Amino acid sequence: MKILYSWLKDFIDLDYTPEELAQKLTSLGIEVASIEKKGADFEGVSVAQITGIENHPNSDHLHLVDLDLGNGRTQRVVCGAPNVAVGQKVPLARVGARLGKTVLGPAKIRGIVSEGMICSSDELGLTNTRARGILVLDEQIPLGTDVRTLFGKADALFDLEITSNRPDLMSHLGVARELSVLLNKPLKNLSPKEYEGEGESLQVDIRDTQACPRYTGRMICGVKNAESSPIIQERLIAMGLNPKNALVDITNYVMFELGQPLHAFDRKEINGDTIVVRRAEKGEKFTLLDGRTLSLDEEALMIGDKEKATALAGIMGGANSGIQENTTDIFIESAYFDAPTVNKTSKKYEISSDSSQRFERGADIGMTELALKRATELFVACCGGTPSKIRDVYPLPYQNPIVKFTPAQINGILGADIAREKLQDIFSRLALRFDAAAEPWTFQAPTHRRDLNHRWDLAEEAARFAGFDCIPAGESRAFVQFNDNPKGVDLLELLSQRLAGLGFCECKNIDFLGEKELKDFGFETKNAVKIKNAMAKGWDYLRPTLLPALLKNTAFNQSRGNTDVALFEATRTFSLIKGFPAETYAVAGIQGGRMSRRSFFQEEKKPDFYFIKGIMQTLLEGFEQVSFIPSEQPPVYMHPKICMNILANGKKIGIFGAVHPLTLKNNGIKENEIWAFEFTLKALEKNFSAQQFKPVRPVTAFPPSLRDLSVMLDKAVPFSLIEQTLQSTPLAVNLHFDLIDVYEGERLPLGKKSVTFTLAFSAPDRTLKDAETDAAFETLLENLKAKTGAELR
Amino acid sequence: MTLQEFKENCAQIQREYTEKITSAADVASVEELRVAALGRKGALTELLKNLKDFSIEDKKTAGPLGNALKNTLTQAIEEKTAALQTKELNEQLNRVDLDLTLPARPVPCGKRHPLSVAQKRMTDILSKLGFTWAEGPWVEDEKHNFDMLNIPKHHPARDAQDTFFAQTGSPVSMVLRTHTSNVQSRYMEKHQPPLRIMAPGRVFRNDSLDATHSPVFHQIEGLYVDKNVSMADLKRDLSAFMKGLLGDKTEIRFRPSFFPFTEPSAEVDVKCVFCAGKGCPVCKGSGWIEMLGAGVVHPNVLKNCGIDPEKYSGYAFGMGVERLAMMMMNINDIRAFYENDLRLLNQF
Repeated sequence: MKILYSWLKDFIDLDYTPEELAQKLTSLGIEVASIEKKGADFEGVSVAQITGIENHPNSDHLHLVDLDLGNGRTQRVVCGAPNVAVGQKVPLARVGARLGKTVLGPAKIRGIVSEGMICSSDELGLTNTRARGILVLDEQIPLGTDVRTLFGKADALFDLEITSNRPDLMSHLGVARELSVLLNKPLKNLSPKEYEGEGESLQVDIRDTQACPRYTGRMICGVKNAESSPIIQERLIAMGLNPKNALVDITNYVMFELGQPLHAFDRKEINGDTIVVRRAEKGEKFTLLDGRTLSLDEEALMIGDKEKATALAGIMGGANSGIQENTTDIFIESAYFDAPTVNKTSKKYEISSDSSQRFERGADIGMTELALKRATELFVACCGGTPSKIRDVYPLPYQNPIVKFTPAQINGILGADIAREKLQDIFSRLALRFDAAAEPWTFQAPTHRRDLNHRWDLAEEAARFAGFDCIPAGESRAFVQFNDNPKGVDLLELLSQRLAGLGFCECKNIDFLGEKELKDFGFETKNAVKIKNAMAKGWDYLRPTLLPALLKNTAFNQSRGNTDVALFEATRTFSLIKGFPAETYAVAGIQGGRMSRRSFFQEEKKPDFYFIKGIMQTLLEGFEQVSFIPSEQPPVYMHPKICMNILANGKKIGIFGAVHPLTLKNNGIKENEIWAFEFTLKALEKNFSAQQFKPVRPVTAFPPSLRDLSVMLDKAVPFSLIEQTLQSTPLAVNLHFDLIDVYEGERLPLGKKSVTFTLAFSAPDRTLKDAETDAAFETLLENLKAKTGAELR
Repeated sequence: MTLQEFKENCAQIQREYTEKITSAADVASVEELRVAALGRKGALTELLKNLKDFSIEDKKTAGPLGNALKNTLTQAIEEKTAALQTKELNEQLNRVDLDLTLPARPVPCGKRHPLSVAQKRMTDILSKLGFTWAEGPWVEDEKHNFDMLNIPKHHPARDAQDTFFAQTGSPVSMVLRTHTSNVQSRYMEKHQPPLRIMAPGRVFRNDSLDATHSPVFHQIEGLYVDKNVSMADLKRDLSAFMKGLLGDKTEIRFRPSFFPFTEPSAEVDVKCVFCAGKGCPVCKGSGWIEMLGAGVVHPNVLKNCGIDPEKYSGYAFGMGVERLAMMMMNINDIRAFYENDLRLLNQF
């Protein structure tokens, strides 16, 4: 909302600089987005001409400048501007002149007294450019001219951000009213000229009093449309409107002034003598002023005569009844339309006007008559004509609720200690009716403050007008209650920390993806959460998987020269389960490029499948329910042979392995080997608690006995079978084994491989004797032979 | 052999070998000397074989003499060996010629995302202030995201221009939550006061991605409901929160504002931490930086959640994580958080 300082002063006497006023408004919760200063805010500055320049004896950049003031008077001043030159006409402020709030006195500059100064544009408050250098004026301007006359009167245009609860501030009167409460100053100029009125106005037939609880109007006959007055034009331009003609301009002017939207109809376009306020018929066609034709439904509210509509109530007039240059008789509507009705229609047809914006947020039902009178005054002054009597249809006058409260309650909400007298003072200025004779006090807000409905609202008013600094920082109070974090949160944090420790950098991505990505990653659109009003193509769904974004991050990084990427993301994924949205925490990661670069004394090293498997094993260490098995049917975006399923209690929760080269290509990744993993956390959350202490397995103090075991077996025997056999062979001692070599090649018969382990045998309570170790070794070997067909090498 | 001859031989061996051991140049020569003196056929060993022929009387003299010599030589050899080994090791070590000024080999270590870092600082502080972590769905029904929070049906925040609407099979209209305040309604619906929660997380707004807007961003919500909770309690706790976050000297101020779910409502500014309130580009010369929105929980919100506003009152606040992170980490484009350039991520 734009507010012009001079216009505000029509309603209240104010003596602040624009900055000071901005501070007052800010303290009331009215944010000032910007202040645009206009005109001159100085006095006693006149035009002088430079006649001579000497160097200042004590400075290398200051000058002593002689000026001709006209009428034979001269003056010498000190000036430091770089652009000073003989012959220039410049603004000279002499001792006693006022620049903004500063009154100029004599100044001693490096030992020489200067009885005035040549001003820059900034110093005159005309600009805020911080440019050095004096303002050079046109040579034609006579000496001695008051510089103020060259720049017009000082004014300031405030751009205010009005919160949605305060539509009453969307006018100059509204802001003045707020300041009048704050400053305890009366409002003025609220009594426009009254006209008796000649003849009846049109009848008004309101067929929906909920949507239109008040309709005030009058005719003015015999007007002669003209240009509006310079001040109206100037002010409308400041509001951002182009002045058109008086009849149109004045309706806008009154709206900016009083907040009440008005509409002027050309009387001759209204058939009969009744204005009808009604809901539209379904399918009713209506052509707006701007030429658009709408097909309406029953929710739209129409103004018209008995036969046709002439306006979409509170939003825009029709093309059929607008004011013309040659209009002679007008009907002025000053009505109140309820916010939801205007809101729905303006939303639906995407029409927004200054009028609809005010009705949507809530106009003042008490303002229609005053606004009509003010408009009449301005119309008659500008266009002549004879006003009719006022027709005011207001069947059920609106009353705000009566709020009962005690001063203690107000201070209780604020935790403050505002004195009773101060509260009484504030509330009596705010209220339509206020009674503090006895507790509880009673308060009723005027019609323009529909937001004051209970004591919490009044507490805010008390704090606003007393100043929010009246709220102290309260005394400490203990709050002793302990609750665990949600499990998913702690689990996500644990896994994220581990991944960071394992060399992965955390990413955050926008949660949207497109249909193509869904399909590429094996998801059906019907199981994904679609966004109805997606902002861009390719951002239509909430992601059920984190990998697509990580692949994009990989391509992005590689394009920027970050070739070695280890990335992860840990956040929620989305799906539809039986139509209902479901959210699951998931963790995904990508590793590409090299683990270590080629460097001095060292070759480069790339990750392989067993590395990423190691990452997964370390990442999920301690989650006993987790196991890995080769995927029989890897997802389409993964390598068909290099992909393992991650299971929790035997159920698949994710995958890891190599990404399919085509997926890489489609995502703009130049490399053909990228490792990836993704899994969901729900199944892991069940047995997880970050708060629980975990009992450890005891460690033995006795060193193990080591043996190497090398066996040859069929190539087709999977390692998992060997591993399982080693793990399940019943032994009298403990066994730990490490695979140290797998060999396939010409030193072995075709179709055979050899595997070599280091076996560590131990007992919790003693060092093993050789015989015990030998026996255990033999048992293992026999079992391996039996289960896997292995032979000792 | 006479005792006298034995003694002379002993003296002779001692002289000879002590001298040789002392002048030995390396460990191998010392070992040769050990064999020559003390080995099975060594000089001393051979000499001692004569003891068996001595009289008991002579043995009493000769035996200890021989043993003493053996010990002396053994010790000398061991000492010499150790000295030579140390010398050789030192020589070997000193032969190493490594350029220690070559660069470090990169040891990979992952990093948390700057927003995670910022969020963790905030949750750590709030935890110390007694706030429990609470969560809520990101795809939320309008009831919990708007209605229960006293946001009227036709509030502009509910427009498609501001809010993302989800297409689901649910009978009620679902949105991507527009703020973390849905956790307020979710939590209060299930818990009676006293309650004190924080709810960090992701929120969604229908804003195009540009330098200062993102359709996805992060907030942290705080809510405290108990008997007699006031704006003054809010001021105390937010002051502590901001001091924890920005330093012990941090000052805050309240400005009136409007949010449908709080009454009274306040914008909370902190005194600019870059210029101590003197005015600088970060605070645009005002000396204050707008940090978060807060207020006393609107009685309608309590009522909607089944909490009696005549008995209990509360405060709530909501703060943007990106905003803080951008300011404190000198990041001037919000998109930097979602680009995930490793050169940026690696700095945390």
